[in-house]
Amino acid sequence: MLVRGCTTDMALSPSALKRFFIGKPIASSQDQHHRLSKKIALPVFASDAISSTAYATEEILIVFLSLAAVGLSAFDNLVPISVLVIFLLIIVVSSYRQTIYAYPNGGGSYIVARENLGKHPSLVAGASMLIDYILTVAVSVSAGVAAIVSAFSSLAPHRVTLCVGFILIVTLANLRGLKESGALFAPPTYLYIVSLASLIVVGLYKVYFKDLGPIDHSGEVAQELLSGQKTLTIFFFLKAFSSGAVALTGIEAVADGVPAFEKPEAKNASKTLMWMAVVLGSSFLGLSILAQKLQPLKDHEGNIKVTVLAQMAEQVYGGRNIFFYVTQFATFGILILAANTAYADFPRLSSIIAKDNYLPRQLANRGDRLVFSNGVIFLGLAASALVIAFGGIVNALIPLYAVGVFTGFTLSQFGMLVRHRKLKEPGWQVRAFFSGVGSLTTLAVAGTVVVVKFTDGAWIPAVIIPSMMLIFVTINRHYVRVRSFLKIEEGYVAPRHTHLVVVLVGSVNKGVLQAVKYAESLRPDRLLALSVVGSTEAGAKLDADWAKHNMTVDLEMINDQFRDITDSIMTRINQLDDEASDDIITVIIPEFVTSLRSQWLHNQSALSIKARLLYRPNTVVTSVPIVIK
Amino acid sequence: MGLRNIGKTLSADKKEIDTERLCERFQQYGFLKLGEIRCRERVKVAGEIKRMRIKPRSGIPAVEVAISDGTGEVTVIFSGRRNIPGIDHGRCIMIDGVPHRDGAQIVMLNPAYTLLA
Repeated sequence: MLVRGCTTDMALSPSALKRFFIGKPIASSQDQHHRLSKKIALPVFASDAISSTAYATEEILIVFLSLAAVGLSAFDNLVPISVLVIFLLIIVVSSYRQTIYAYPNGGGSYIVARENLGKHPSLVAGASMLIDYILTVAVSVSAGVAAIVSAFSSLAPHRVTLCVGFILIVTLANLRGLKESGALFAPPTYLYIVSLASLIVVGLYKVYFKDLGPIDHSGEVAQELLSGQKTLTIFFFLKAFSSGAVALTGIEAVADGVPAFEKPEAKNASKTLMWMAVVLGSSFLGLSILAQKLQPLKDHEGNIKVTVLAQMAEQVYGGRNIFFYVTQFATFGILILAANTAYADFPRLSSIIAKDNYLPRQLANRGDRLVFSNGVIFLGLAASALVIAFGGIVNALIPLYAVGVFTGFTLSQFGMLVRHRKLKEPGWQVRAFFSGVGSLTTLAVAGTVVVVKFTDGAWIPAVIIPSMMLIFVTINRHYVRVRSFLKIEEGYVAPRHTHLVVVLVGSVNKGVLQAVKYAESLRPDRLLALSVVGSTEAGAKLDADWAKHNMTVDLEMINDQFRDITDSIMTRINQLDDEASDDIITVIIPEFVTSLRSQWLHNQSALSIKARLLYRPNTVVTSVPIVIK
Repeated sequence: MGLRNIGKTLSADKKEIDTERLCERFQQYGFLKLGEIRCRERVKVAGEIKRMRIKPRSGIPAVEVAISDGTGEVTVIFSGRRNIPGIDHGRCIMIDGVPHRDGAQIVMLNPAYTLLA
């Protein structure tokens, strides 16, 4: 009643604002499931994976140049690292192909681990993937903003604001129910693929046939980076490798989304996965070779504002021309889309986990626009918090990133191994071998990341994943306890109580008369009106009013020597409760309902009484409203 | 659960203060303590009026008064009227009558009474 009054009266009520930003509610029956063709599915599912090429090469270089300080020899080690990463990519992709065929209904790490490995591994996978999705948003948006900042350096001081702003926009768009619509995803993804291909082809052509030399670097930071003379240790080599391994993030998206493909789903998904791997692998390798020749520089503190990709584009295209800007905007576009895929995955995974009773049920609720609104909002908040905490610098977020991804990969593939061993389908040995190798390799990578980057921030997921598991288990224990408490045992009959109804009375007014009439309609076993009176005169006045209105209900007046209404009422209710052993008490509170503006002028004592009674067993609290217009 | 326990302890504190106050007040008179009352024997007791309940039954109204001296509580019923001058919250009265037990409470029906203070 109250809320409806507000919406019609005030133009800018909360629900009108919500309608403006979120849009018209959609009925459940209007839920549509689009099937995606391979051409559309590639941009939809691959934007996350392919977008990581925008920063993977840069991250490797940062480790070599800035942390290991090896100077020019960094560029010689770039391609070997890339080849290793691509090798890893091939292993993971061939393992995920099997997952696609085994789980045509979508086999994220959580599901595969749950089906094959049991509760705890699945929770580890779930926690890792949730963290990973949050980081996908934070990293992708930060990298996207970095691409913009590279093109327009005056925006550099507003990096964090821009990041949070874009996260807000993507969050709102997803609350509106931005479906994984191909029309939106396809152009930026293909534009990025084309601009990367053109950058690599033109770049390598110019390097080999037009003698395009390395980028000229000026500035103290650049000179310092170039002058590094240290020899490369195995520690930094592994560190660089684990930075490059972030290129693999997002590969699992295809396996998660198999049901979204056109028939035959598994076959199409598997082909899309292969194409994605080819695009990802070749562009990553191409960029690394180009970077070896052009020698772009980047430090770990973000003193060099221009991204490696932007430096190379500027050099290849000979300045900041249209090609340069197209490359930057395409990079920005695909990175925002990559963030957007996490907005599809995070709410879906959290809703699955919530349905398994490991997360609050609210995460499984669909909102006005049929999206899991609470998950979307949570993701937006968490990603914004991360971006703010790490200053929107990609490099600072990367160590946190890879741990979750590779934990998820490991468990998913290990789950597949267990499945192959169990089912023993024809040719299972070969597949089991692939899964086994895959899980061992990714486990090694996950372990490497934690060890070599522990102090850089890898300790954060190493702490958060176990604590999230603890949260999952605690939530689950609560839900299980509640369910077993509420379960109806054989032969259970709800007990019959003696019903005592107490109407709380302040003074005799219209609301109280209505409340007493209501109380009588309940036909309780005992009924009385209870009032705390401050003075003898007040008591006499109340008694007189009671008589004047011919009330037939017993009126009990308590004198409180300590002027504490709530406490007196609680004490008296406890006493009344003790008089019968099997009773249930209904406390009826007459309440004035006015507008939101003046509501706080009323019912303050009613509020505190209600709060106290809420925790009292066998006590029902009823508000009898009298709406004041 | 926790909230209720806290509530109980806090109200118990006030109850203690009140009990102490009442005990002190009634020691001077030297009547039989309400806590030591025995049913179906004529007694003279005294207490402070804690609660009044008006029962507006059509025809025969009644006033129920709960008195306490800190050691116990007795319900006194005066039938046939809905208010008695002088019988008010916080007043002390002396009661002369025969108590009986009704459920959890001790009740005295239409006793002789004297206003003390």
